[in-house]
Amino acid sequence: MHEFGIAQSILEAVRTEAAKHPGARAVKVGVRIGPMAGVDRESLSFCFQAAAEMDGDAGLALELEEGASDELDLKYIELEEP
Amino acid sequence: MTRVPLEQKVLSENDRAAAELREQFRASGTLCLNIIGSPGCGKTALLEKTLAAMDPYARVAVLTGDIQTDADAQRLGRYGFPARQITTGGACHLDARMIVRSLSGWLTGDVDLLFIENVGNLVCPTSYDLGEHAKIVVLSAAEGEEKPLKYPGIFYKSELMVLSKVDLLPYVPFDRELAIRNARATNPAIEVVEVSATTGQGIDGWLQWIARRRSAAGLRVS
Ligand SMILES: Nc1nc2c(ncn2[C@@H]2O[C@H](COP(=O)(O)OP(=O)(O)OP(=O)(O)O)[C@@H](O)[C@H]2O)c(=O)[nH]1
Ligand SMILES: [Mg+2]
Repeated sequence: MHEFGIAQSILEAVRTEAAKHPGARAVKVGVRIGPMAGVDRESLSFCFQAAAEMDGDAGLALELEEGASDELDLKYIELEEP
Repeated sequence: MTRVPLEQKVLSENDRAAAELREQFRASGTLCLNIIGSPGCGKTALLEKTLAAMDPYARVAVLTGDIQTDADAQRLGRYGFPARQITTGGACHLDARMIVRSLSGWLTGDVDLLFIENVGNLVCPTSYDLGEHAKIVVLSAAEGEEKPLKYPGIFYKSELMVLSKVDLLPYVPFDRELAIRNARATNPAIEVVEVSATTGQGIDGWLQWIARRRSAAGLRVS
């Protein structure tokens, strides 16, 4: 079960990116996963929710897109600006 | 609401550490092989046979990952080459930062060959680049020939499939040709060697593969 670690990596990247936009709050992150990436989407969604709640980011949504081969990429984050 | 496009790997932190390792291996002329397979498929047994077959002056080292215990490093440490355990304490795979930490201050000189035995698991290690030259998947004759179809990721990413425990072929219903076909359905370029750590069958072919891989990487063949 490495999906929890992957969820934490996504959260880390979101935090880094959000910090570049002072005052903004990240509400969604898009991730693309290929069939050969060795990542279970359902388990990743579950772990992501748990990890986000633990970090006090419960309002952050994860959107998974179907990617090619072993792709495991961050595609976008959505920010709510004040 | 603004959408900020990102173009980066989810595991970019790991990939940074892996790039550091790759540079380190390049500078020291080290061929690094990342050996992956399910628990008990025979990774340590294969490495034991490999170390036993090496010239005692060969510059070889082994890192071995397990969730708990240093049993594998103890087994691998009996052959006169440096062997070090990484206990992950729960993680089902090795990541590049663990390798960076384990290598720092460990070996006294450069090595020509570094084996990394990953944590027994056919899924999780797939996603983590350790700066290796090649991932190698070990599939044992007792595991079932459909495994490459059930766990395609690791077969897709591996350059070589080691079909292990072939001494068991007479006793288990395992169609080795079907296993190879299944692996190639996922990765047409995957190479195959068949070995038995018990009888020593195929170990020569495995050592030759390593030597070829060294020269393909532009490294001196020792
Ligand atoms: N018959 C036969 N048994 C083998 C062979 N290689 C390993 N075994 C047996 O398979 C079992 C597991 O071998 P290990 O080498 O510990 O397997 P491993 O992949 O390192 O296991 P983990 O590190 O726990 O994932 C042991 O009981 C070995 O004796 C082989 O070539 N033939
Ligand atoms: Mg082992």
